[in-house]
Amino acid sequence: MKWILFFGALIGLSICGREKFFGDQVFRINVRNGDEISKLSQLVNSDNLKLNVWKSPSTFGHPMDVLVPSVSLQLVKSFLKSQGLEYSVTIEDLQIYREMNSIAGDFPELASRVKIGHSFENRPMYVLKFSTAEGRRRRPAIWLNAGIHSREWISQATAIWTARKIVSDHGKDPAITSILEKMDIFLLPVANPDGYVYTQTQNRLWRKTRSHNPGSPCVGADPNRNWNASFAGEGASDDPCSEVYHGHHANSEVEVKSVVDFIQEHGNFKCFIDLHSYSQLLMYPYGYTVKKAPDADELDKVARCAAKALASLSGTTYQVGPTCTTVYPASGSSVDWAYDNGIKYAFTFELRDTGHYGFLLPANQIIPTAEETWLGLKTIMEHVRDNLY
Amino acid sequence: MPPRGQPPPASGPGGPRPAVLLLAPLLLLALQGVAAAPAGAGGTEDSPGLQDAELQRGLLQQAARAALHFFNFRAGSPSALRVLAAVLEGRATVNPKKECQVDLVFTTDHYNREDGEERLGKCSARVFFRNQKPRPAVNVTCTRLIEKNKRQQEDYLLYTHMKQLKTPLDVVSIPDSHGHIDPSLRPIWDLAFLGSSYVMWEKTTQFLHYYMAQISSVNQWKTNDDAVDFDYTVLLHEFSTQEIIPCRIHLVWYPGKPLKVKYHCQELQTPEEASGTEEGSAVAPTELNNF
Repeated sequence: MKWILFFGALIGLSICGREKFFGDQVFRINVRNGDEISKLSQLVNSDNLKLNVWKSPSTFGHPMDVLVPSVSLQLVKSFLKSQGLEYSVTIEDLQIYREMNSIAGDFPELASRVKIGHSFENRPMYVLKFSTAEGRRRRPAIWLNAGIHSREWISQATAIWTARKIVSDHGKDPAITSILEKMDIFLLPVANPDGYVYTQTQNRLWRKTRSHNPGSPCVGADPNRNWNASFAGEGASDDPCSEVYHGHHANSEVEVKSVVDFIQEHGNFKCFIDLHSYSQLLMYPYGYTVKKAPDADELDKVARCAAKALASLSGTTYQVGPTCTTVYPASGSSVDWAYDNGIKYAFTFELRDTGHYGFLLPANQIIPTAEETWLGLKTIMEHVRDNLY
Repeated sequence: MPPRGQPPPASGPGGPRPAVLLLAPLLLLALQGVAAAPAGAGGTEDSPGLQDAELQRGLLQQAARAALHFFNFRAGSPSALRVLAAVLEGRATVNPKKECQVDLVFTTDHYNREDGEERLGKCSARVFFRNQKPRPAVNVTCTRLIEKNKRQQEDYLLYTHMKQLKTPLDVVSIPDSHGHIDPSLRPIWDLAFLGSSYVMWEKTTQFLHYYMAQISSVNQWKTNDDAVDFDYTVLLHEFSTQEIIPCRIHLVWYPGKPLKVKYHCQELQTPEEASGTEEGSAVAPTELNNF
């Protein structure tokens, strides 16, 4: 039938060249008759919506799968509603996982996608491993953590931009090339996949995991209060309804446990960096106490250097200091755990902005944020490279 | 905005535990801007001096925020909203009742700053925090950022744009999930921020501070009888607890007239707190702070 060919032609629509952006969804649209087909073709045909047909129905009664870019979501939803077309949203959060695969595919000698576990709702936890090492030697490694708090979208976005940056600049930028000569980098762009999906489909401001709390109507624990570093101490809550609920016990959240197990099994991490938003802060341990960390002086110096490098791009200023007094007391945090487990170079970034847009940072700030953050990250990684222990 | 100082420790079902308060007496601190500033008194092993400096700096930030929210509300001008640039100097005293008086000087920037344009204003304020109770008493004066006629013009321009918006407004959230605000809806955001400033001022304490995260719904938008009658729900983000607090706000605004605000926020239910019902209404100031 003619319309199969028509849709087939559209499948070739490329979404490359468009700014890679998150929140794209796949709509599964019920197609019951020819009338609905023609309504749909109207929709799919419109240039500015940039829809991408994934699966066209072979017969009536079978649905059509269409990739809808995030910017077109509202329009498409209104259209479908006004035309009485039934649909459901199928895959969410696919953009980041596909991009990770694409990076690993484009640079197989350098990057690989590794599954380290799964989330509460059984979504895979993928890291990208960047390594120039041959054989099975466990090089000293750097862990870049992002998206642990799902509403902090600039974190996941920065992470995936950084992944692309690492592979693109390797061999061209002496800094990243020399870093990868000595160390491996592991990047987890979505440390809280269930939360991330939830922010795209139900509640943009969701922070925690989506685990169930027996006996409570409230869902989820704060994955950055769930690590075994002064677990349930000051700066966390034992109320499941709280945004900083620490969870039932340390590592009760499977997302956290997956990372802990991986890092411990690896045994040779030297650096752990956690990306959050917002406030524009660069911090080091501790969050769970005001006591000065043994390496605080060195970490402070490194952080100040990194903040300076970051600011050099667009003038974005970051405050530097230990977590507890720079932002607030926080127990059970990833960075404190890393530090107390021998990973000396442990830092938290709170990315842009300082409250104007907060979590809802406009898309046009993603690349500037990622670019300046990259300078800060490189400063830290270079220091680690030159001070391996 | 740079970070705050001492927040309440873990808030469990028993409500926030009494926080460690500043016991430092009069401390005069000169601070430099928003960038990484030298952290005051030098540190020993456990750096008590360093901690004090950090705590002081946090308290000054809190005071500056409270003062600014109050200032913005009282100015009643959605085109002349200000944000905190930097605290220049300040001093805090704590009395035996654990109430806290902060005198400070800070700079402000235009909320809707266009690129390249930098208009720093300067404010001096006295803020009185009642031990963990909201509604800090604020006395604040600021230098003029925008010339009075220009400000009135811009307000009136905003007002005419608002009157042209087709009702009922076909919006869900502002901004959308990606931080985008349609330019035609920007006046709504600014007016909402003005109303929220009142709410955020009232709710700010030594330990709690707020940002406006999103307008989650516009319940009513009327512009007959000349004034803008705006009923909306806003999501406030409280920083130290990381909670999102929905507040229903109803405001009435006409350029040049004092803002009238009523609100009700959904507070977190804890066994010790009464179910959160708060109402505030703007008392029309007898003098407009024209400058």
